[in-house]
Amino acid sequence: MSGLRLSGIRKSYGDNPVVKGVDLDVAPGEFLVMVGPSGCGKTTLLRVIAGLEQVDAGQVVMDGQELTHVPPRDRDVGMVFQSYALYPHMTVRENLAFGLELRKLPRADIDARVAEAAKMLELAHLLDRKPKALSGGQRQRVAMGRVIVRRPRLFLFDEPLSNLDTALRVQMRGELARLHRQLGVTMIYVTHDQVEAMTLATRVAVFNKGVLQQLGPPLELYHRPANTFVATFLGSPSMNLFEARRDGAAWVGSGFRLDAAGDAAGEVKVGLRPQELTVAADGPFAGEVEAVERLGFDGYAFLKTAAGPLAARFDGSMAVEVGQTVRVKPTGDAVHVFSADGARALRHPEARR
Amino acid sequence: MKRSGLVTALVHVGLVLACVVALYPVLWVVKLALAPTQALSLSASPIPDAVTFDHFRDVVGATDSQGRWLFGRQLLASVVVSGLTTLVGLSLAVTAAYALSRFRFPGKDAGMQTLLITQMFPATLMLVPLFSLLQTLGLLDSWGGLILVYSTSSLPFCVWMLKGYFDTIPRELEEAAVMDGASPWQVFVKVVLPLARPALAVTALFSFMTAWNEFILAATLINDAARFTLPVALQQYVGEWKTEWGHFAAGALLVSAPVMALFFALQRYLVGGLTAGAVKG
Amino acid sequence: MLRAVLGGLLAASVTASGAEPLKLWHAYRGGEEQAIEAAVKAFTAETGIPVELLSVPYDAFSSKLTSAIPHDAGPDVFIFAHERLRQFHRLKVVAPTTTRLERARYFQSTVDALEVDGELYGYPLSLKTLALFVNTALVPEAPKTTDAWLETMAKVSDGKAARFGLAYAAGDFYLHAPFVFGFGARLFDETGRASFDTPGMAKSLAFVKSLQDRGFMPQEVSGALVKSLFNDGRAAMVISGPWFTGEIENVSYRIVPLPTVSETGLPLQPFLGVEAALVSARSKQPDAAHALAKFLSVGQATLLRVNPGRQIPAEIAAYERPEVLADPTIAAFKDVAARAVPTPNTLEMAKVWEPMKLALRGVLQGEVAPSAAGQLAERRYRALNRERPEPTNATPWLVLLGLAVMGLVGWQVKGLRGVSFAKRYPEAARGLAYVAPAAVGIAVLIVIPFAVGISLAFFHHEAGDYTFVGLANFADILTSKGYRLTEPLSFWFTLAVTIAWTFVNVALHLSIGLFLAILLKDPLLKLRAVYRVVLIVPWAVPNYITALMWKGMFHRQFGAINGLLAALGVEPVSWFTQFSTSFAANVITNTWLGFPFMMVVSLGALQSIPQDLYEAAEVDGASKWTQFRRITLPLLKPALLPSVILGSVWTFNMFNIIYLVSGGEPGGATDILVSEAYRWAFQRNEQYGFAAAYSVLIFFVLLGWTRLTKRLTGPEAA
Repeated sequence: MSGLRLSGIRKSYGDNPVVKGVDLDVAPGEFLVMVGPSGCGKTTLLRVIAGLEQVDAGQVVMDGQELTHVPPRDRDVGMVFQSYALYPHMTVRENLAFGLELRKLPRADIDARVAEAAKMLELAHLLDRKPKALSGGQRQRVAMGRVIVRRPRLFLFDEPLSNLDTALRVQMRGELARLHRQLGVTMIYVTHDQVEAMTLATRVAVFNKGVLQQLGPPLELYHRPANTFVATFLGSPSMNLFEARRDGAAWVGSGFRLDAAGDAAGEVKVGLRPQELTVAADGPFAGEVEAVERLGFDGYAFLKTAAGPLAARFDGSMAVEVGQTVRVKPTGDAVHVFSADGARALRHPEARR
Repeated sequence: MKRSGLVTALVHVGLVLACVVALYPVLWVVKLALAPTQALSLSASPIPDAVTFDHFRDVVGATDSQGRWLFGRQLLASVVVSGLTTLVGLSLAVTAAYALSRFRFPGKDAGMQTLLITQMFPATLMLVPLFSLLQTLGLLDSWGGLILVYSTSSLPFCVWMLKGYFDTIPRELEEAAVMDGASPWQVFVKVVLPLARPALAVTALFSFMTAWNEFILAATLINDAARFTLPVALQQYVGEWKTEWGHFAAGALLVSAPVMALFFALQRYLVGGLTAGAVKG
Repeated sequence: MLRAVLGGLLAASVTASGAEPLKLWHAYRGGEEQAIEAAVKAFTAETGIPVELLSVPYDAFSSKLTSAIPHDAGPDVFIFAHERLRQFHRLKVVAPTTTRLERARYFQSTVDALEVDGELYGYPLSLKTLALFVNTALVPEAPKTTDAWLETMAKVSDGKAARFGLAYAAGDFYLHAPFVFGFGARLFDETGRASFDTPGMAKSLAFVKSLQDRGFMPQEVSGALVKSLFNDGRAAMVISGPWFTGEIENVSYRIVPLPTVSETGLPLQPFLGVEAALVSARSKQPDAAHALAKFLSVGQATLLRVNPGRQIPAEIAAYERPEVLADPTIAAFKDVAARAVPTPNTLEMAKVWEPMKLALRGVLQGEVAPSAAGQLAERRYRALNRERPEPTNATPWLVLLGLAVMGLVGWQVKGLRGVSFAKRYPEAARGLAYVAPAAVGIAVLIVIPFAVGISLAFFHHEAGDYTFVGLANFADILTSKGYRLTEPLSFWFTLAVTIAWTFVNVALHLSIGLFLAILLKDPLLKLRAVYRVVLIVPWAVPNYITALMWKGMFHRQFGAINGLLAALGVEPVSWFTQFSTSFAANVITNTWLGFPFMMVVSLGALQSIPQDLYEAAEVDGASKWTQFRRITLPLLKPALLPSVILGSVWTFNMFNIIYLVSGGEPGGATDILVSEAYRWAFQRNEQYGFAAAYSVLIFFVLLGWTRLTKRLTGPEAA
């Protein structure tokens, strides 16, 4: 079988389990983003794939070859580190060539590959500088170049954009996506930033506390989150969650009543994305506006309701002020339903792809 | 921050004073070395009354009864012994310090403690057992014995220094090299060592100084004047009944000069090398 | 038996082959060295036996000999003063010459000097003793009695012109001994024990003190002062030895025996030191070695000894040679030597020096009455010469040691249980492989000697014999047996001094270093690089050179420091006569050599503090001082702490400075624990066990100190 397969990966540091049994398949050419809050085990898993960490249990198999105990240099895997880890005592050119020299490639080959990568990453004019003399974005590109020149079958990224400012991050995101298209190689990318996950990934794997929560294309995760963790983790502001119980054809919580579809019953959690709520006089939720974020075209109002805090979108033209009491209603079929402990999704809105 | 003119002036005054204090005794030795007598010149002025290079000529031109040029040979002995001490000491220290900084293994903490403890036992009482040991090892009357003793005696300090510095080198750099395909040895040689250059420079300097300045052991172990190190030769000017101060001062300057030169050559590393171990952001 | 025969055969064959050159070690310099080289050349020419000469620095000579000879790595013949003979004999380093020596060829006194327990060792070469050097311009008629002497001194001495009748290094017991004998005192009683508290001793001290009080003699005289006064015509007479002739410039002088004490009719009788060619007990070619040693002591070699050696030969026949008689110095010393007594080479003599030095300096500095000085010396003598503690059976201790080792191993093993080894230490093999070379080196060359050193602490060493005494050494040290807690000899006193020494030094190093670092911090400061280079200079100078340099600068009469003080209108300070100034001199020296290290460390640490912290504090309205206290200091602490700990350990054991600058003066008060341990080992009758116990205590104090600092600073230092 081709691609990467992780099965039953476990890893703990001392008495502290970090990865608690992860199974994961990555198809060739895929851009998999592993996302989750810090300490969720995503970076550890990446390092397991790289070979920098030894597993306590489980297997790493790539293209049918068992890699679990193969040293990193024989795995044909490249990795971009969060801090870039550029060798401060080498020039950009030496940094790029280092891995190739270690593999004893012919000089001409090395030069050609370095030149190619430099051109691709627009580093050609920086080749003789030391990393100290580069800007953050340039360093980032060198770190990527260092992997590119080696042409590994798998690229690993450990939060590579977290040290850049917003504008650069957007630009680099674009470059990463372009790179993926251009090279067509498998990439695994770790981040805690859901925007990166949503924009870059062909598939997203959400982790929490060492456990894989859900794996799938970004939009599927957004629209059909498997549990409340995934539901709240993806999307900004996060999904509103309220405790509710079934009462005939409605979900009833403290201070609200929503039309219920589907056949879930008993105590549940209902979830509503702020983007699918709008301020309207006839809404089921009422609350005092505590904060307002105006983004221009539209904005978000943060309400204190009887069921708990709630965020809702409103049109830029609407007048919503702090201190006002407003009502909010869902736009169409918007209700997600989760089991009371949040571990299972019971229903997602219809007609969403 | 901009300093006012007065503050800057005061800073300069303070530093100039400090420099005068630092240089005064040295100038005094220079004066002794240039004076025409062998006596301890005793006046407050550090400026020589009369200048002659006789003492330097005597010290440098010393030969033994067989006409061997002692100074040249002793200089060679000092260079060889100190150089090899530095090399041996540093290679031992570097590997040990790296292991202590990076790996977990049993006895590690005990080892670190032992290193510190060895600094606390006065060295004077170790001469007798040491001599027996070196004889057992067949290393009496050889530079090898000296080199071995010197390099081990400076080891504890070197290991401490280097370990502190290695602790500050980000592990990610080594991991990056591993991902680039480097073997553990390549990681160590191509990434860690070049990065530890300031600390290496400082520890090398210390090893070198230990060997370069020592004379009791050298005089005790070596049985040929032409293979003595320079400080032993220098010590010969201090006799039981009288000291040839002029020769001693000239010799002292000649012995100190290379160390000073090294200090100045390496001084840009000194600041970083000594402190980086302890200061990590 | 068989082995002895074989050994004999082997030795004989070696001698017969004669290929191996003889090895001859000495500590001669200059003319003396030329003389010995020429003599050896003559020997080889005559006998065909090659000789290898080695000149060893005097400071290292004795330890080199006693280390090398027992290991068969030493010379066949070596030249040493007879005072050490007893020690060499005990260590079985010297071969007897009783049957070989032709006694009649040498001065009787020089032969006597070479006797130990009825056997003679070595061949006398030359002698050293004291005589009166008289400036003939100032004193035309050399005084024969002390009365005449005092008269002359009174005539010549002139306080206004700073001219003195007499100058000699009065604080040195070697130079005072003639007075002791002259006033009829004996250094040893009938049982051979040293005796100090005698009327003659008191009189001798009172006499010398009166010379000083009456202005006939300057205070605190050193060799350098004697030389300068005599050459300037400001000292009419000088007591010194043959080596002084080389120092005299432009003065016409005569050398005469010391006068006779008018009161007792006894001559001022100096000690006589005999330099001898000693044959190693382990020489592989004893006959050739004896031949060489004998050759050096007579005939042609003697003449070479006179010229260019300028030594006073021990061979009688030499004084009939015209070239010797033509040399007034040597001829004069012949008469002087006839009146001298050989310095006893007994163990007891070795115990006299330190108590007498203490008493002598006490009297000269006016702190002790001459009549009370004997008692002072007696007390010090008793304190230094400990009775051997009761021997103890070592078996229970060995059992205890075994149990302790087993317990430790068991405890370690227990600690490892639970987690599997491989999981706990995944990199153990690699780590240990990396550490192994250094660990082996440290184990062999540091830990083994260290263990030997520690085990010595449980023994008493006397005359080459070690007796197991258990903890007696420690008990004696800790209970300060034989002296009050407040005396300089007490461990607790020395510990207090050592702690004060360490604290003051580290505090000064740190504050000066930090202060300079702050001045140097500004990267835009002009000449910054120059300042930095210059300020590192003291660090680059080897510390024994530093110590000797400063010792000279603290000289009472000529030292640069007193010169500067005089320029400022301050009375010159006599640095080494009081505890406070002597301690200060040590501290100043050590501060000079130690501040650059702290400066460099502080500079590095300061540069690591982010500048924006100061800007933030500035915005918050913090003053510079507040910024220093609240930002600089707390952030420097973790960086400076390891250096401070290391620095304190180094300072605690800073032997060179104490030993070379103050030398423990006054009366051992400024000695620190290490120098005290050194004295017990090498200057007080080789009480190695006692010294080792000191070292072990030093070790525990330092261990406690580092533990304490670790606890005080808590986890942040880890």
